[in-house]
Amino acid sequence: MNEQQGTSGAPEAPPLLNTLSKEFKPSNDVVQTPLQIKGECAFLFYLKSVTDGDKIHQTVIRPFFEMASEESFTSYIQSLPNQSEVPAKEQLFVKISAGSVLIAIRDRTFLLDVRLVKNNEVQDTTIEPTVHGPQKGLSEDIGTTINLIRQRYHKPSLIVEEIVTDDETNRTVALLYDNDLVEPEVLKKIKAELENLQTPLFQSAGELQHFLNKSRWTLFPTTIITERPDRIIFNLVGGKVVIAIDGSPNVIIAPVIFFDFMSSMEDNYRVSVLSGMTILLRYIGLFICILLPGLYVAMTSYNPNILRIELALTVAGSRIGVPYPSFFEVLFMLLFMELLTEASMRLPKAVSGTATTVGGLILGTAATEASLTSTIMIIIIAAMAISTFVIPINEMSFTMRVVRVLLLIYSSLFGMVGLLIGFMGIIFLMVNKESLGIPYLRIPWIGKNDELKADNK
Amino acid sequence: MAEKQKIIKGCIATGLFLMMLLQAGCAFKDIDKRIFVVGIGVDPSEKVKDGFRVTLKLAKPYGNVRQAQTPTYAYLSHDADSVAVAVAEMETRVDKLLDLTHNRIIIINKELLTKDLHTVMDFFTRRGDIQMVCYIAIAGTTSEEAISFEPTIETPASIALYNYFDNTGTESPYIVTTFLFEFRRELLEKGKDTVLPIIDIDEENQEYKVNKSIVFRLDKEPLELTPEETKYFNSLANRASGFSYKFQDKDHSVVLNIYEVRFKYEIILNEGEPRIDIKVTKVGYIGESKHRLDPSKLDKYNKLAAKDTKAEVMDLLTKLQEKNLDPFGFGLRYHATRLSRKGIMEEWERIYPEIKFNVTVNVKLKGTGAVE
Repeated sequence: MNEQQGTSGAPEAPPLLNTLSKEFKPSNDVVQTPLQIKGECAFLFYLKSVTDGDKIHQTVIRPFFEMASEESFTSYIQSLPNQSEVPAKEQLFVKISAGSVLIAIRDRTFLLDVRLVKNNEVQDTTIEPTVHGPQKGLSEDIGTTINLIRQRYHKPSLIVEEIVTDDETNRTVALLYDNDLVEPEVLKKIKAELENLQTPLFQSAGELQHFLNKSRWTLFPTTIITERPDRIIFNLVGGKVVIAIDGSPNVIIAPVIFFDFMSSMEDNYRVSVLSGMTILLRYIGLFICILLPGLYVAMTSYNPNILRIELALTVAGSRIGVPYPSFFEVLFMLLFMELLTEASMRLPKAVSGTATTVGGLILGTAATEASLTSTIMIIIIAAMAISTFVIPINEMSFTMRVVRVLLLIYSSLFGMVGLLIGFMGIIFLMVNKESLGIPYLRIPWIGKNDELKADNK
Repeated sequence: MAEKQKIIKGCIATGLFLMMLLQAGCAFKDIDKRIFVVGIGVDPSEKVKDGFRVTLKLAKPYGNVRQAQTPTYAYLSHDADSVAVAVAEMETRVDKLLDLTHNRIIIINKELLTKDLHTVMDFFTRRGDIQMVCYIAIAGTTSEEAISFEPTIETPASIALYNYFDNTGTESPYIVTTFLFEFRRELLEKGKDTVLPIIDIDEENQEYKVNKSIVFRLDKEPLELTPEETKYFNSLANRASGFSYKFQDKDHSVVLNIYEVRFKYEIILNEGEPRIDIKVTKVGYIGESKHRLDPSKLDKYNKLAAKDTKAEVMDLLTKLQEKNLDPFGFGLRYHATRLSRKGIMEEWERIYPEIKFNVTVNVKLKGTGAVE
């Protein structure tokens, strides 16, 4: 590399290249090479680990030796589609380390984007799978991600704005929005937030979402993280802003309302009655998941009169010998269920099945056998666990796991009334919240299309 | 530093809050620390003068309903000079909280109807945890016996007495249902008298028998209706269907299955003698016959049935009139459809004993019940 330059000797490398090579020096993958033929010469500077060697050879080196003069080579380079302006020094470092090659011909320099991206395969949708709808999600490479979105949204008004954040890794963040539909206020807010990011490092959409959120304690997510291109397009049409991060197969959508979290893209792909039923099912699931543990405590310990007598007797019977009060019983089982959920999420796929079986089946049965909990409790926990996963967006289903503990505490203290007050409190919280100026609990009862339009006002 | 203090404060607050959870409040009572009362019986006391003997039916919880072979109830009786005191004293005899919220039947001894009904009922209507949708019934013998009787068909986790009255189990025109709120209302208002079912136990001492009723007004001798009269009353006043009606025609003996009953009446005072025009329509089909029936002669059967029914209805109405009892609520209708003025009910009291009944019965048979 450097020795090459030494041996060839003759032409002097431009000063810019020398500065660059000083900056990148100790690294082994730096290539600074002169091209020479019959007095014509050019210099290349690139990192060989992030650039496509083949491409450099095809588009730069070979034409150089085939061309007659420096002038024609210069104009050839200028006409290449991946050619761009040479930016200021700081930006140049970023570009070079992201996979550009710097070409110096006499006193002129050119920057060619010859990125070699190995992580650009399109990933399967695993977080939000649907039966119909696209089976492929986004890619870890931002270029591919933008390509996937552009290929589904053919309009000149779709704006892609790249923002290089000033965190330690200089990761590329891209804003995508439809210029005609987006609300300028919201866009301004998002840009301001992104520019004021005071964080040393962020690596994924989830992390960025966390930093975008200003308040210290937040229960409800105010942006959606998604991997589905169809959801992205749906939201772009709705005038929302999509934030893509290089290296993350998910993007952030903002602003959102609560009901966005409860909708699956599947709803649009099915006949109305069917999707109506699934939506109904989802909301029933939501209420079961947050109310059931609180309801159990309220019903068994405060107001057994609202149960039917048969059920009251069965519950009372199944609690025979259970040493702790009902809320303790619920907390205990809830803890184990949460542990189980967490464990099966973190474990490798091959082992997680075992964890579920051991935890779910054996622990459940054993806990009743040992009369640590009542049998009814097991049913409740199971029903709750299942219904948690009915909520289509993961973020929200995790939030609901916290909400139900809050409601459980309320109903353990004040019974049925407490449960009601706690529930109202949660609603207050949501009403009070906003996502980039949009009320969080706005009810889109006006219908999907009108709602989409209303976002733009 | 301030930040640190804030965190410490937060931790202490959270800790205290969590500790509050362990201090189960006074309203907090686990379901296994409660015992559910599923029936209350009130008798006049033999031990305490002018007192009551209150019997409670308590449901014991059991681990597995399917394994429990026999119903698991416990009975508790106590004598005291008032119902409230009896219940309060019984609380010292059980280790768990007596939970009255699930009670849905109150059985009263017949003697109490004419004796101390106000004192008895006061407790039940005053106490918040007794539901006003309790059924009220009269015991054939004593309430204690009726409450503590366990019929052979009673299954665990199902209280037989409830099924008689709530129409989820048996549905029979012989059974009248009266709720506590209804009973109290009819007891206090003028113009309608209350009808209570009588709970008997059959001769073999195996099952309950609920087919009689008692018509009753405060300060008046109660009138017991026979099963047949109860059935007629119930089919008219409550449109009880499924009512198998039997009539005899020379050598025919036919049973009708009625599935729809309509009962309309009008009080007419300004056309000659005061009278009540009653129009009864029954729709059904023939349920049983000893002979072959001709579908073309349905009209004939209609007429025969109507004649028979009319006689029965007249009998019932005149019997009630003679005793000056009015469970149909004619008086209430009179009161409601006349301009309110002073002494309107006294007026009715004068009219009712002499009023004439003009009954028209219309039977519409839809078929002979058999396919030719």
